[in-house]
Amino acid sequence: MASIDIKDVRKAYGSVKILHGVDLTIQDGEFVVLVGPSGCGKSTLLRMIAGLEDISAGEIKIGGKRVNELDPKDRDIAMVFQSYALYPHMTVAGNMSYSLRLRKTAKEKIASAISGAAEKLSLTPLMERRPKALSGGQRQRVAMGRAIVRSPKAFLFDEPLSNLDARLREHMRGEIKKLHQDLGATSIYVTHDQIEAMTLADRIVAMNAGIVQQVGSPLDLYDRPANLFVAGFMGSPAMNMFEGTYRATDGAPRVELGQGVTVALAGPASTADGARVTLGIRPEHVVVGKNEPESIPAQIDLVEPTGFGTILHANAFGSDVKAFSLERGLAARGDTVSVSFPVERIHLFDTTTGSRIG
Amino acid sequence: MTEAVNAAPYGRDRRPFLRRLASASEPYLYSAPALILIVTVMLVPLVIGISYAFRDITLLDPFSGGFIGLDHFRALAKDKTFWQALKNTVYWTGYSVALQFCLGLILALLLDKPFRGRGLAQALCFLPWAVPSFLSGLNWAMLFNPIVGPIPHWLFGLGLMDAPDNLLSSPDHAMWGPIIANVWWGIPFFAITLLAALQSIPRDLYEAAAIDGATPFQRFRSITLPFLAPTIAITVMLRTVWIANFADLIVVMTNGGPADRTQIVASYIFTTAFRRLDFGYASAIAMVLLALLLVYSMLIVLLRQTLLRER
Ligand SMILES: Nc1ncnc2c1ncn2[C@@H]1O[C@H](COP(=O)(O)OP(=O)(O)O)[C@@H](O)[C@H]1O
Ligand SMILES: [Mg+2]
Repeated sequence: MASIDIKDVRKAYGSVKILHGVDLTIQDGEFVVLVGPSGCGKSTLLRMIAGLEDISAGEIKIGGKRVNELDPKDRDIAMVFQSYALYPHMTVAGNMSYSLRLRKTAKEKIASAISGAAEKLSLTPLMERRPKALSGGQRQRVAMGRAIVRSPKAFLFDEPLSNLDARLREHMRGEIKKLHQDLGATSIYVTHDQIEAMTLADRIVAMNAGIVQQVGSPLDLYDRPANLFVAGFMGSPAMNMFEGTYRATDGAPRVELGQGVTVALAGPASTADGARVTLGIRPEHVVVGKNEPESIPAQIDLVEPTGFGTILHANAFGSDVKAFSLERGLAARGDTVSVSFPVERIHLFDTTTGSRIG
Repeated sequence: MTEAVNAAPYGRDRRPFLRRLASASEPYLYSAPALILIVTVMLVPLVIGISYAFRDITLLDPFSGGFIGLDHFRALAKDKTFWQALKNTVYWTGYSVALQFCLGLILALLLDKPFRGRGLAQALCFLPWAVPSFLSGLNWAMLFNPIVGPIPHWLFGLGLMDAPDNLLSSPDHAMWGPIIANVWWGIPFFAITLLAALQSIPRDLYEAAAIDGATPFQRFRSITLPFLAPTIAITVMLRTVWIANFADLIVVMTNGGPADRTQIVASYIFTTAFRRLDFGYASAIAMVLLALLLVYSMLIVLLRQTLLRER
């Protein structure tokens, strides 16, 4: 186990810049999730840590030792691929023991290592099968087994659950979390799925277009997104965003949303009067139906029951306002209701720069 | 076809006889043109050819043509030239296939790595395949000829030859002339097929192996080779059968000489049939070659099946 230091790491393919300077320190034993939309450079960063891609600029240290020039095999890391990349001509046992055999580990040691891993992942009855004869979930577990037999300094996961169906994905998510709690190994996990990121991570690194947008605990990112990207990316259904004008005259900071609707803010924002701002509020924080002084009249366009709760789409001040409620039968299509945004739940962003201002 | 399906399987078919006949013969009518073509161009000549082996057919002898049973095969068993040719065939085929395969594999591995100008390199490497075998035989014969070709002088210069003589007239080494020409000509076949197989291997397997600590050679052994094995089996089989039957280069470059030292079975068949005009005997030799190659192919097919089951 070891810490990982990433210092101003950049990647370019020819003239195309993919990563624009990533700085990140991962503590020993920490589970860090890199999350972001497809093509933002997560895999590239992970593969650079693994040694599968050259580092165009910057420095990566594993356990305090610079690894830029080291081959993958000398970095003592293990990686789980999205496609699992199991060796099709070897049995499960062969796949799991391959790295140990290459290292000329003693036979008894190999046997105990793979039987231990097989036990942890309930692979024991499958050890003599070939990958072809396994289901997706079993293959996934073999890929994990192959990674853990070596007790490497760090685990790297590149969207390991993307090829599984929803049920199995949920199950394996739990398994991975348990495994990490068991082994306590430093792990970097790449995913585009914000639920995976939220549930697994000690710390989330949100990335977009080759730039780290925010680093923090899952609830940090959820409760105080640093910019519009993170606010929109984390959470499902996604956060409501309304553009408006910031007003701070007469000591009452507020946002004008158009059609005469004004929303009061808890405190002054770090911007000037009259600035273009974006007001964000999560659907589960929108209050529907209570006639409070601040409430806004709205008409229900669409009702989406999820079983777990209900998503209401309401039309207010010319915008679509989503509200999520655990209550059923709160409103029906065509109803006129009132919605309100509790001040302590409001996020405020600068529309042009996208950064959080209150 | 829908007619045939509609024909009621239960009870008596009440359609008129001609309609029933038409729908019953429909599938045969559709496949007839292809079947007739295959039978006339493949099966008929094959059967006639095989029948020659049991008849006395000499083109210049007007009284020949009679059925003589296994006489040709008895003569063949005592024919020294035939046994020599059989040995030469093994030698010629073995070295040609082995060298073509090894060099073709190396070429495929080189072309599989990305580098600048790879497209051009690929096109150039595959060029020999497009040269007619006859032409390449003539070319190589010229290259080996000390009067017009450079190779004897190079070999002499390197000390590999005592004098700049024609390799093709050396009784001990003449076979290497056609083998070298054949290798040059046949490398692209292996390079193309193996390159296609190489490119179908998922890249992340190599990456996983690199992380697991495999050296390039270990990666080749535990990933590339098992993936290539079925392709190797089938291409080696095809090439072996093809080369064992492939007399063009030998006929053009040495014509079996000196003193039958480069005579292979295929060129012996050619000489017997078209020089001595003894079609019956030539056909008997051809049947023996066919039987040997069939046995060989069966073995390779079995090997390939086991390899594929391993996946
Ligand atoms: N070998 C390559 N050559 C050029 N561009 C590449 C290469 N590999 C990846 N890219 C580009 O880098 C970007 C990031 O890719 P990747 O790291 O795989 O994204 P993701 O976040 O989905 O894992 C993508 O836009 C992709 O097109
Ligand atoms: Mg990716």
